[in-house]
Formats: sequence, structure tokens, C-alpha cells
Amino acid sequence: MEKRTAVIGWIVAAGIIAVVVFGTGCIEEKEPAPPEMTTLNIGYQPSTHQIAAMLAHEKGWWERDLARFGIEKVTMKEFPSGPPEMHAMLSGDLDIAYVGVAPPIAAMYEGLDAKIVAGVQTQGSAIVVRPELADEYKRKGALSLKGKKIATFPPGSIQHTILSKWLLDNGIDPEKDVDIKAMGPSDAATAIGAKTVDAVFLPSPTPTIIEEEGKGVIVEWSGSMWPNHACCCLVASGRMIREHPEMLKQIIKTHINATEYEIAHPDEAAEIYAKWENANVATIKHSINATDMRWIHDPRLEIESGIEYAKVIYELNKDRYESKGIKVLEAEDIFDTRFYDEVTGKR
Amino acid sequence: MKLPGKDMWLWTVPLAIALLLWEFIAGYVVRDPLLLPRFSAVIFSIYALRGVLISDILVSLLHFGIGLGLAFAAALPLAIAMGWSRSIFKAIDPIIEVLRPIPPLAWIPLAMVWFHLTHYAAGFIIFIGAFFPILLDSYTGFRDVPRVLVETGKVLGCIRDRKLIKYVAFPYALPFIATGTRVGMGVGWMCVVAAEMFGVSDSGLGYRLFQKFYFLHQMDYVVAYMLVLGLVALCLDRLFRHFVEDRLFKWKRGIVK
Repeated sequence: MEKRTAVIGWIVAAGIIAVVVFGTGCIEEKEPAPPEMTTLNIGYQPSTHQIAAMLAHEKGWWERDLARFGIEKVTMKEFPSGPPEMHAMLSGDLDIAYVGVAPPIAAMYEGLDAKIVAGVQTQGSAIVVRPELADEYKRKGALSLKGKKIATFPPGSIQHTILSKWLLDNGIDPEKDVDIKAMGPSDAATAIGAKTVDAVFLPSPTPTIIEEEGKGVIVEWSGSMWPNHACCCLVASGRMIREHPEMLKQIIKTHINATEYEIAHPDEAAEIYAKWENANVATIKHSINATDMRWIHDPRLEIESGIEYAKVIYELNKDRYESKGIKVLEAEDIFDTRFYDEVTGKR
Repeated sequence: MKLPGKDMWLWTVPLAIALLLWEFIAGYVVRDPLLLPRFSAVIFSIYALRGVLISDILVSLLHFGIGLGLAFAAALPLAIAMGWSRSIFKAIDPIIEVLRPIPPLAWIPLAMVWFHLTHYAAGFIIFIGAFFPILLDSYTGFRDVPRVLVETGKVLGCIRDRKLIKYVAFPYALPFIATGTRVGMGVGWMCVVAAEMFGVSDSGLGYRLFQKFYFLHQMDYVVAYMLVLGLVALCLDRLFRHFVEDRLFKWKRGIVK
């Protein structure tokens, strides 16, 4: 009896598998027409680096400029850092993303169908040490961080990549000589305030906020760690590039307008950021004035460091990528400047 | 606990079907390793990660041990006090009922400032997860001791509370304590990923799954570690059942089956 039931069990199993195999095999694969797009999903992070995204939305420019393409609603989705934002893009939840240059590259190595289509800003992150460690940093520089706990964004983020390279350039092994703790901006700010870490390396405005609260001292801006390094960029999904090229050109135009506007009106940009993130306006204005950040829109300004990030990320995951036959990404794998060139007439 | 050989098909057939379906659906229907990696790719990933896997399991077990040990040590005396004394129950129950629904994740900011970035901070999150199931089940055991057992104990010379608890209530509540501990172990282990998310250590199953693999979008590694989390939990549960249910409660066998 038992034996017979077991045999029946295996027959049922084989039947289920056969139905699934042949059933799905019968489904004819058709190339579907691109669906009508009425909602545009834009990802961004709570950083002054990406005020252009907030400014364009606040002023209603996204919806105004994209209405002629059938867009009825633009949804802004906030992420604590780049890696989870790119994870959302991988799963198809984002059409456009304001994000650091490194996270999309890390995601491209894992198959993200997207390209960087415009620049957003360069530099603009800072190392903040606990007040009692500031003098030591002034005397010894980077070497004073040896043996210290440093909180920054997770591996694959722009901050983690820049910090690792800068430590290596200064003879400090980021794996062995320091204890890098991966955190989001609010966790890192809490950690330095509670003295659970010795330093943080974060994008604006968090370094200024920590300094104004008396919990730390800014000792190094990222522009001195890696001059003119690329930071945030505008990423478009492969679907946007292939199916909606005209809309993408308009998105880049709107982004350029927002960038020019924030450069011309930094105080208003600070007010918009403060409103969105419930922050102190004076602190944000001070952060924008104090930082070495530069708002840009030309993607070419980010290509050189983008290629460098691609190499650093590859080295970090060499075993995995080599075992899968993945090669180091080149500029044309990461950037697509055609749309920007057409919009600005640079071609 | 041990499945007899003749009943093996009861679990091997569904398991084989599930794995074959997984492999087939991932490979031929979904066809995107980011959405669903193939079972074979996940097994290969476990092999590829063998260099860090053991140390990650050990660190997670350390966090789990700290959390579960503290939860057991704190919950048991409290359960005895609450079950044995109505006044203590009335005094403590409102506090318990306010704290109990707070998700372990919500305690992370406090864990960071109270215990800093140490193994104890991770242990604390697991403690929060494990404490309440152990407390509530154990309390039920002590509360429900039949009056006839208490009276019999008194007749046989257990006059003081201490002796009554030791010789009457505790043996009666043991199965409840075991059930609470088993449930607490499960909930505590579920908190391991959350406990290792905020930089308490540079290894651990949750740390690597969330801080490395997820952030680098290495989904085959993510699923491999999810599978390892499940397998470690299964081993822990089997060990617990072997030592507690099969040995300690051997006398209970035959009551139901």
C-alpha cells in the first residue's frame, strides 16, 4: 500500500512538471507593443546634491513638460542611498533615477538595463570626525583614521568607493586598517552623535548638520580626496531609452533647466530642500555655501571617474565577475550621451 | 522526530517537486536571475561562498546565543513571578502589553546608542524577538498549575512558595517553557538579519546578505544566504526537539500517540 502511494506520488510529480513544461511551451511568444505610459517614476535621495529633482517637481515642471507625451502623473520616490534605489530600478519600479554614479555601475554588472544620460553634480561629500579627534586629524591627516570606525554608505555606493580608494592612496587598507560600517545617512549621524563611530563620510547636507549640532567637525571634503570626482547622475532605464526617446530628451531638458535654476537661485533651492526634507533652512543654506559640490548637467564631466568607479567595483567583486565571464564596463556600457548632445546641440 | 525510511516519500516527493519547479520556472519562465535565480545557481553560490559561510554562520549564532540566552534568563523568572503572584501580574502586565507589539526593528536606534556597534547590540534585537514568546508561554504554564497539584504538594510537605514552585509548578510548566522557548528561538532567528543590518559586525549571515549581496544586487548570493538561514534554523529546531522533546520529555510519549 505504502509503495503504491509512493509510486502515485512520483507520477503526480512528473505530471505536474510535464504540464508546466509543455503548457508553457505552447504559449506563443509575441513581441508586445510598448504600453501607454501615463506615470513617470523618478527616484532620488534626501541630499542637496539632487535638489534639481525636487525643484523641478516643486515647480511643476515635470508634469508640465511631459504632459504632451501622455504623462499624467510624476511620482517621486525617496531612497536612503543609491544601492536600494538601483534595486528598485532593477525590479522595474523606476524609469528615471537621480543617484550616485557608482550604484548604477554596480547594478549594471548584475544586469541593470539602464544608462547614465546626464550629469547632476560633482564632489560634495565630507569626512566628519568626532570633535575630540579633529586636532589629531589636523596633525596626522588620513593616517589618524587608522584603527578607527568610519560610517559611510554601503559597498557599491559612491561614498564607499571614494573612501576606499582614498584610504588606499594614503597607505591604509580599507579592509584591515579601518573598520568601515555601512549605514544610511540618519543611522550614521546617530552613530557619530552616540560616539559609536569615530568618523562618518557622507554627502551634503548631513556633514554640515552634524557639525552644527556640535557632534563632529568636517575635516575633509571629497573634492580634495578625489578632485572633480563624479557624484550624482541622471540614469534612464533601458525602456525609456528604447521606447520613449523623445520623452527622455524632454526629461533631460527639464533637468538642465532645474540645474541652471538652482545654480542661479541657491537660496530658493535650499528652501525647497528644507521644505521637502523638513530641515532647517539656515543649515541647508550654510551647507550649500560651505560644500565643494558643483551642480552640473553634462554627463561627459563624469565619464572619467565613472570608468574609474567601474574598475574599483570590478576589483571588489573580481572573483564573482570572473566566474560569470563579466568584463570591466567601458564608457559606452555605462554612458549614453546621445540624448544630452541632441538637446544641447553639442554633437 | 526522525522520519522512518518508509515514509521518506512524504517529504522527498514534495521537496523534489518544489526544487524542480523552482529550477524550471527560474530558467524557462522568469529567465531573469535578478528576479529569481535558478536553484542550481544558488547551490553553486553556496559553494562559491564557502570561504565566508562558516564564519558568517558562527557570528550569527553568537548573536543568536546572546539574544536567546538573555531572553531566557530574563523571561523565566518574570514568568514565574507573574504566574505565581496575581499582584505581580497586575503590576507588570500593562508594561508587557505596551512593549510586546513594538517590532524588533524599531529598537535598532536604541540598540545602537545603548550597546554601541557591538555583538550585544545585535543580541539585544534578537532578545526583543525571543523574550515575549518565552515569557508568555512560560507564564501560562505557571498560571495554569491545577489547584489539586498545589494542595497535594502542600500535604506532602511543600509549605513555602519556593518549594511549591520548585517541586510542583516548575515541572508542570516545563512543557510550556519548552514551547515558548521553541517559538522564541524561531522569532529570534528571524531577527538575525535585522540585527546585523546596522554595522554591528563585519560578518554574519544577515550582515552579508543585506550589506553586501543585496546592495550589490547579487541575487543568487542573497537567495543562497536565505536558504542557509532557513537550513540553520531547521538544524536548531531539530536539535532542540531532539534534546528537549525526545529526551527531556520522554515521559510524555504515549499520552497522545
